[in-house]
Amino acid sequence: MTGALFLILVPLTAAVLTYFIDGRTKTARIILILTAVFHAIMTAGVIFLPALRSDDSRWLGFDDLGMTVLAITSLLFLAVSIHTAFWIPADRHYAHSHSHILLFGKPVFLPAMMAFLATMSMVIAAKNFGLLWVAVEATTLVSAPLICYHLSPGSLEAMWKYLLICSVGIALALFGTITMTVAAASADVHGLNMDAIKTASENLNPAWFKAAFIFMLAGYGTKMGLAPFHTWLPDAHSEAPGSISALLSGALLNCSFLGIIRVLDVTPADLQDFAHDLLITLGMISLIVAAFFIIRQSDFKRMLAYSSVEHMGLAAILWGLGAETYALIHMCGHSIIKMSLFLLAGNILLAYGTRTVSEVGGIFGKLPRNAVLWLTGILLICGTPPSPLFVTEFLLVKSAGPVLGSVVLLLLFAVFAGMSMVCLNMCMGTHGHGHHHHHHGHALPLPPEPDTLRLKTTEKLALVPTFTILLALLGGIVLTIQLVRYGG
Amino acid sequence: MNTASFFENFLPALFALLLAMDLLLAVSSRLLHCIRLVAFQGLIIGLIPLAMWQWTTPPHTELIVIAGLNIALKCALIPYLLARTMRSAHVCRELEPLVGYGTSLLIVLAAAAFSFFFCRELPLPGENVSFLAAPVAFTTILTGLFLIVSRKKAITQAIGFLTFENGITAFGAGMALEYGLVVELGILLDVFVLVFVMGIAVFRISREFQHIDSDRLNTLGDWSGDDENEAEMKGEN
Repeated sequence: MTGALFLILVPLTAAVLTYFIDGRTKTARIILILTAVFHAIMTAGVIFLPALRSDDSRWLGFDDLGMTVLAITSLLFLAVSIHTAFWIPADRHYAHSHSHILLFGKPVFLPAMMAFLATMSMVIAAKNFGLLWVAVEATTLVSAPLICYHLSPGSLEAMWKYLLICSVGIALALFGTITMTVAAASADVHGLNMDAIKTASENLNPAWFKAAFIFMLAGYGTKMGLAPFHTWLPDAHSEAPGSISALLSGALLNCSFLGIIRVLDVTPADLQDFAHDLLITLGMISLIVAAFFIIRQSDFKRMLAYSSVEHMGLAAILWGLGAETYALIHMCGHSIIKMSLFLLAGNILLAYGTRTVSEVGGIFGKLPRNAVLWLTGILLICGTPPSPLFVTEFLLVKSAGPVLGSVVLLLLFAVFAGMSMVCLNMCMGTHGHGHHHHHHGHALPLPPEPDTLRLKTTEKLALVPTFTILLALLGGIVLTIQLVRYGG
Repeated sequence: MNTASFFENFLPALFALLLAMDLLLAVSSRLLHCIRLVAFQGLIIGLIPLAMWQWTTPPHTELIVIAGLNIALKCALIPYLLARTMRSAHVCRELEPLVGYGTSLLIVLAAAAFSFFFCRELPLPGENVSFLAAPVAFTTILTGLFLIVSRKKAITQAIGFLTFENGITAFGAGMALEYGLVVELGILLDVFVLVFVMGIAVFRISREFQHIDSDRLNTLGDWSGDDENEAEMKGEN
């Protein structure tokens, strides 16, 4: 309880503090990094010192699953906050339009980022379905202003879609939560405490519980980006600045999945099959939708967003097949790799000022460090060995059976083809080559060649992704050796 | 008439009023009118838990606090915020629905009929639960969803969302469910902040686009880009 309270309240206090001093100053950025460091240390404390997570509280606490997700969230936030602290000045210098969403005349970007960390910690720590809902909705609210860092029409549209679609989705989850109260009342449990409901899970009214499960799956599934509720995700992830996309994709999607896992955890034994089948179905739909939209995608950040839909689908399938540890490994691997890729995509966007694949060319020549990392990241996210995702996808196909397994493999191949085409188009060639070709008759002017100083700044920003890609690679090598040695 | 039986009649009247609000929301053409209707819905929902109390003993503090906050937020503060957003964003007052008012009314009536049909078999969890609670709450939820998809303006979609949320709260209140003060307060806080953030978004959208018709908020997406490419290719040929 104490640990959980610190993990929630300290970032929240830091957010309020940053709001009152100007959020654009250097001090604010230092506070951001300090908050992230404190959160990481506190997370390590919660994991290694059982005294910090005394389990007597009815509202907040950490189990093994919660601690895994907490660790990955905290690590991600630390990396992203260091990157953001250096990215903001560079972006202010080069971006054409820079403006924060203002609240009573003050910028809210950095405060919202810290509040985002606080609300995500609350999602992970919640031991009550009501509190879980409150926290998940709060993550939507504080992350919406983050999408609009550059106040462009596109980002406003993305923010509006995010707010509306996610809120309607989450409201469905609220309905599911209320239905869960009815189901719990049928087993003489009053309130929404997860432990109490789990203890009485065999006595829950099955009809009410089924309704609760479906609504909560749809609600948290919307937030998690499972198709067909994913429509907000490509817009929000492509319009947000790179570091925010990294947080949304790497941390928030996991937290939303955690919401679904909490419901699965209290599912009575004879409804487990029903729940797992639903999860596998949604996972397959996500995989199909993602594969369809990744092929011939013309916007590289949208491509990464659809790849998140794909991997959330894979994690859902893994969980549905009962391979819960592998699903967790898949989530962690995806988080780190996708975060690195979004940070790199933000760098490329900073250098070239465009997200269109055909207008970015020859990054190998201009941004060698970013380009090598980008290529490595794309290969890792597609599950090329020794990626950690290779191990989990291998085990997925192995345990899925011949029909489902071959369909999954086919779709993974389609995703790989689509992503490598985009990646190679960006890495090879000369700048603006594709652009010139596409707009042959229009005589559109080529975007100006990025100047040397800008490219240099971008190369410096490749520092954080270097470490995270190496981390993912290292984890992948360890897992692959384990796989080879023990055969899963 | 003693107090107990007065409240027994009071509860169905509240649900009937809620249903009437749904129908009125479907046909009202003025934005301010819609905001007032949603505010009135908020008042009704705040009163439901009080009407369900048996009144043989005075109600406990938690119930009164939640009812009071519900009414203060949903009947006063949130409508005030919406009206202020409407003025500051210079939203014109007509709604320009995608679906005509007559058709809207028919659709909401059909939703009500469906809800009553769907809920007739539903087991009621308590003795003092009104049989009207579930179908009326479902109708309100469906009305909210319908408003979100059938109205053009961003601010009307926010009103639709509030109706939707009112329906969910009405379901919880009508089923006499209690999930603890912390959760209730959290839900109220979330809804309040959501309307606040939506207000900022509506304001910014009106600044940026000079309108808040969300159907013109469709430059993002995978289909529009493809169409352009195809058109270009045809042009080249």
